Amino acid sequence: MSNFEDRLLGALKEEITTRTAEDRTTTVTPVRRSRGRLVGLSAAVAGVAAATAAVVALTGLIGSPAYAVTKDADGGVSVRINAFTDPEGLESELAGAGIKAVVDYLPEGRICKQPRGRNGAASGRFATGVGVGEGGSGITFTIEQGQVPEGATLVLAVSKSGAGDDLPPFATALEVVDGAVAPCEAVPVQAPPPSDGRAPDRQGDGPLTDSRTDDGGPGLTTERD
Amino acid sequence: MRLNDDPEAFEAFYRRHVDAVMRFTVRRVSDPHLAADLTADIFLAVLDSAHTYVPTRGSETAWLYGIARNVVSAQHRKAARETRASGRVAGRRLMDDDDLARMEERIDAERRMRDALRAMDGLPEGERAVLELVVIDQLTVTEAARALGIRQVTARVRLHRARRALENVASPSAVYLEGQA
Repeated sequence: MSNFEDRLLGALKEEITTRTAEDRTTTVTPVRRSRGRLVGLSAAVAGVAAATAAVVALTGLIGSPAYAVTKDADGGVSVRINAFTDPEGLESELAGAGIKAVVDYLPEGRICKQPRGRNGAASGRFATGVGVGEGGSGITFTIEQGQVPEGATLVLAVSKSGAGDDLPPFATALEVVDGAVAPCEAVPVQAPPPSDGRAPDRQGDGPLTDSRTDDGGPGLTTERD
Repeated sequence: MRLNDDPEAFEAFYRRHVDAVMRFTVRRVSDPHLAADLTADIFLAVLDSAHTYVPTRGSETAWLYGIARNVVSAQHRKAARETRASGRVAGRRLMDDDDLARMEERIDAERRMRDALRAMDGLPEGERAVLELVVIDQLTVTEAARALGIRQVTARVRLHRARRALENVASPSAVYLEGQA
């Protein structure tokens, strides 16, 4: 006798077989980078282009495991990060979902020098918006289908909290780069300049404030726990 | 053990938890089709996150509920702006009439829990999350802390605050807000 539970199990086991087969035929090409060689250079992260990068202070982060990458029914990919550990694992998970990604987790107060490459996000790839999960329950964003096309790379840099990998990060930068991605060169995080017309509104309270780009770029929002 | 490339290991895991996962979903949604979708989504997320599964590092239950919470809250965020299209494994398409009836029974059985959950709506998310896992899902505080990736002492403090806040509002649902401490 077959019921929902049995059929679901069957479908999931088929999914395992399909994925295993896909893994064998897919070559994941790691992006060239040097995580170990972090050079201090100054750059205002969000200031590079309001259209292409967003810097936020994310608070109220809780959750486990470190991350989850889920393919949505509509072809998008949902990403959730609960702890800023294992960037390579997240990269390979995203690669498995068809998204080439470069992920760097840096110590508090440090972020990757901008720009990381030719930027494609300004063309409105993130038109549907990139959000950060509801207050207190983690960071999430969704990459809609086609937002990171062939030849482009999703580039995520996180300045971790000094108090722990699973704590709200100090700052985050997310962008889409066309073509080659420069290795992460760590530079001090600077508050976003007012070039996007939005002054930080919580400067005395946290390291940075949330910023959302006005043109449909990757905006990240944050809520306090 | 690798859950995502060993169908037998996965099957054992699935059979251990499918009931709890279905209960988890019907405590949060009252639509049987959506409950089926979420059940499927949670196990798909298990496959996605299988490499983070370290059996020696805390309980399997905590790991699973961490994933389940993520899936259900992602669903809630998306619900408003999109209807579900067809995925590779769409739970609702795996249900026949008997399953639908059984799912509806499950949903009826958990009505009080959904009421209790609604009573927690006003709580800060962090507190609510702990209370939810302890009271609604009957996890231990240790498991809830692990599922949420927070320290046990933090979980205890939040649980205490949440209970106190709910006592103050004297919600009729508060009578259900007992759980293992």
